[in-house]
Amino acid sequence: MRGIDLEIKKSETVAIVGASGSGKTTLLSLIAGLDVPSSGEIYLADRELTAMDEEQRAKVRGEMVGFVFQTFQLLASLTAIENVMLPAELKNDPDAEKKAMELLRRVGLEHRTKHYPRQLSGGEQQRVAIARAFASSADILFADEPTGNLDTKTGARIIDLLFDLNREFGTTLVLVTHDERIAARCDRSIQISSGMIEPENSLEPSSSVAG
Amino acid sequence: MNFPLAIKLLWRDWRSGELTLLLASLVIAVSTVTTITLFVDRLQQALYQESATFLAADRVIASNDPIDSAILQKASQLHLDQAETLNFLSMVFSADRAQFASVKAVTADYPLRGELIISEEAFKFGEIVRHGPRQGEVWLESRLLPSLDIKAGDVIDIGVATFVVSKALIKEPDKGGGFSNTGPRVLMNMADVPLTEVVQPGSRLSYRYLFAGETNALNEFEAWAKPKLLEGSRIFGVKEGATGIGNALDRAERFLLLGGLLGVILAGVAIALSAQRYALRHYDHVAILKTLGATPNGIDSLFLVIFIVMGIFATFAGSAIGYVTQMGIVSLLQPFIPIELPAPGTRPIWLGLVTGFVCLLSFALPPLLKLRSTEPVRVIRRDLEDANVSSRLSYGLGILGTVGLMRWYSGDWTLTLLLFSGGVVAVLVLSVIAYGLLKSGRVLGMQAGSIWRLALAGLQRRGQENTMQILVFGLAIMLLLILFLVRTALIDEWQSQIPVDAPNHFAMNISPEDVEPIRNLLNDNGVESQPIYPMILGRITRVNDELAKARDKRTSESRANDGNRGPRSGSTRNLTYAATLPDDNRVVAGTWWPEDYQGKALVSLEKDLAESNALKVGDELVFTIQGRELETTVSSIRSVSWDNMQPNFYIILSPGALKDFPSTFMTSFFLERENKVFLNTLLRNYPTMTVIEVDAIIEQIKTIISQVTLAIELVLGLIMISGALVLLASIQASMDERFKQHAILRTLGAGRRLVMGSLIVEFCVLGLFAGILASIGAEITVYALEVEVFELDYTANPVLWLLGPVVGTVLIGIIGTAATYKVVKTPPTIVLREVA
Repeated sequence: MRGIDLEIKKSETVAIVGASGSGKTTLLSLIAGLDVPSSGEIYLADRELTAMDEEQRAKVRGEMVGFVFQTFQLLASLTAIENVMLPAELKNDPDAEKKAMELLRRVGLEHRTKHYPRQLSGGEQQRVAIARAFASSADILFADEPTGNLDTKTGARIIDLLFDLNREFGTTLVLVTHDERIAARCDRSIQISSGMIEPENSLEPSSSVAG
Repeated sequence: MNFPLAIKLLWRDWRSGELTLLLASLVIAVSTVTTITLFVDRLQQALYQESATFLAADRVIASNDPIDSAILQKASQLHLDQAETLNFLSMVFSADRAQFASVKAVTADYPLRGELIISEEAFKFGEIVRHGPRQGEVWLESRLLPSLDIKAGDVIDIGVATFVVSKALIKEPDKGGGFSNTGPRVLMNMADVPLTEVVQPGSRLSYRYLFAGETNALNEFEAWAKPKLLEGSRIFGVKEGATGIGNALDRAERFLLLGGLLGVILAGVAIALSAQRYALRHYDHVAILKTLGATPNGIDSLFLVIFIVMGIFATFAGSAIGYVTQMGIVSLLQPFIPIELPAPGTRPIWLGLVTGFVCLLSFALPPLLKLRSTEPVRVIRRDLEDANVSSRLSYGLGILGTVGLMRWYSGDWTLTLLLFSGGVVAVLVLSVIAYGLLKSGRVLGMQAGSIWRLALAGLQRRGQENTMQILVFGLAIMLLLILFLVRTALIDEWQSQIPVDAPNHFAMNISPEDVEPIRNLLNDNGVESQPIYPMILGRITRVNDELAKARDKRTSESRANDGNRGPRSGSTRNLTYAATLPDDNRVVAGTWWPEDYQGKALVSLEKDLAESNALKVGDELVFTIQGRELETTVSSIRSVSWDNMQPNFYIILSPGALKDFPSTFMTSFFLERENKVFLNTLLRNYPTMTVIEVDAIIEQIKTIISQVTLAIELVLGLIMISGALVLLASIQASMDERFKQHAILRTLGAGRRLVMGSLIVEFCVLGLFAGILASIGAEITVYALEVEVFELDYTANPVLWLLGPVVGTVLIGIIGTAATYKVVKTPPTIVLREVA
């Protein structure tokens, strides 16, 4: 990545778009504090991620950040509800189970709480992942190609769910996608190619087409 | 630290089956080690108890004078059983004959260990008793009855007292072997000694104080008493006291330790492998936990708790299972074990627990600790390699744990370092060879059919993992081969020590005119006699023109300094002459004379005698024999196996050298127990000859050796089970990768035969390579072990080079195929989903 200068405001929804290998996933993992840049500074809610060690970054992630991944990333040895309980349990929250149950009901999986990931369909797994992402009461949610492994119809429903919940919780949403229809639903689109951000005005035509 | 979460995760892992393999290998490892140590401990105790019968006690203080009564009080305080014996030489008289005898007076509790056998008739197996004769009675060694021309119920005189000969003494436990006993035994009651008035100030007496009891009390007693003993007294146990047996016991103990050690190493390898697999499967978990805000320290404490809880569970469950298994083995084997096994002590249980935890710490902890450094970005970037589990820390802990445990088990740095450095060198050299073998396999595979091509290409592609796996397989097979080879060498050595028909009686002091008639008498009674040796008493009086006494004095100072207690040159000894080198003797310097040699007198010396007196080939020795001098030259030095219960001589002269000196003769023969009454006829006809019976001691040695042999076989069996466990764990560890690969092949339409075939070939080739490596490693290590630790003569093992590869191929082929059979039975989609 070169010459990145980017600011995302609270409660904003931002799409990062670009071709495969353009660097959009790398950008996401840097902003989310999953990875560190070789130079430059990254701030998350006024806290400088680049000055922290892994221990401190993990704390920040636990307090402020939620994730939804393309490959769902549920723990195979845990049931649906246990996966959703995990973020609260890491914070020793005594209400973990109650909150998790509520979120699973919210994503429409109250009848599959005791199922293991391998017993769930792809769409169901992603709904569990979304429930887990909101379970951490995060200020900012990062989603990496959340529909990449799903068929169009299921994907559309997942995106609806994601945006509904996002509105409800008032979360900041940063989402990596190559689907321009999804990008169009965001407040803002950032186009990446060869590790650099394209000028934002170049996006206007495509976003108007989608709209 | 988030303790409840750790417990929850542990529980959830367990429920979903993630933990099963790690936990199973931990439990099995700990229980194998516990079983082996418990079993070895009980066998060892039993062997010691059995061997203690050679001393009639666990500890003996031998002394020329009565010892300080404070020592006996200390023994009472420690609740040790006690008995005393007093030995002296005396003439004993029957109505019309007299004999020189070795009288032993014993107290009421003699013997503390072992038993006596007495009989109404001489040389006849009788009843077993555990006490000495009553006051007023004596028991006589069989050969005294015919030589005194009496039978049980007659009387004899010792000194001024008269005793009833109530029994013939057939066997006493602490008689000792060899020919050092100067006369036939008369056993009497200690309370009768004053009546004889034989024991006077200045008499040559030898007191023995016998002690028996608990090991700890005995050790405390020995440590306490040793510094308080005066000159001329010494304390000793079985190992020091019974030469020949002590040696066998020592080696057996080393073998059992070696077995225990190898068991621990194998268990450690099994644990390391399954921990590594567990860690590999948890990298993704950790990455996800990290994205959810788990910190590296949090991860550490999380898995530390998991580790500790698992460790506690596994070690305790393993110890309990080990205890039960060992009880089962013992009760199964009890009918075959000729000795009563004492109850297990608490020490092996602790040993098992500690071993379990050390194994966990050094083999399972390192891979788990690597989890902390998993990069969270892994959840997005699937192309990131799994963090490399092996690091300085994990090697360090592994080495520390292995060496520590080895040292602890063996109590012996030589054995530890030898095995360990052998292992390290083997691993380095063998990994190079293994890689080479894999490469060559690929070249061959290119010309082969599709099953072979697939299998060999698979082996080649995962070259590093497979090199690793060949090493682990090879190491496991190597350890088993080592144990097997050392066992065989030990048992062969013991069995050759005493052949089945070895002579068990010696006839000495045969006058020249009796030689022929005695030989005829033996032959008429179907007793086959051995060569007849002349025996002439004599001693060395001058060495290279220096008086032997002066030379002894001069050399004795340096002898004392290096603790040399070898035979002295100036003592009076039995000399013999022979044309041919006796069996079991080996010339180590100089040459043996030709069979028809008739020239100037030559002499061949025993090695210890020569070394401790600085005598060498070419030295001029002058012997004084029956008041006359004989000049000789040393022409050879021989080694003699003193354990073989054959007539052995320190000094042998060339034939003809002694022909002018009158001599008596000796011979040996084999007699079965039921034919022993024949000795009555022999001794009544030739009362001047002496018969020494070594059949009892030979039988005793054989019993011990067969017990030790059995113990060794049993331990070998247990270790084999450990070895199989390692192989299984190692195959399991590579399972995910193989499953995935073959499931993909099946989705591509590969038939069951092709998949199965390539799996079989893959494992057989791995096994073959591992077997070749194992043979190389085993040959080298066995050489070092046999020479350095067991002090055996090394012989090459050609069978090994066949055994290793065959065992490897068959064993790995079968276990591997059986373990991966699931892959062809399960639909590929399920396989792929499970390992994704």
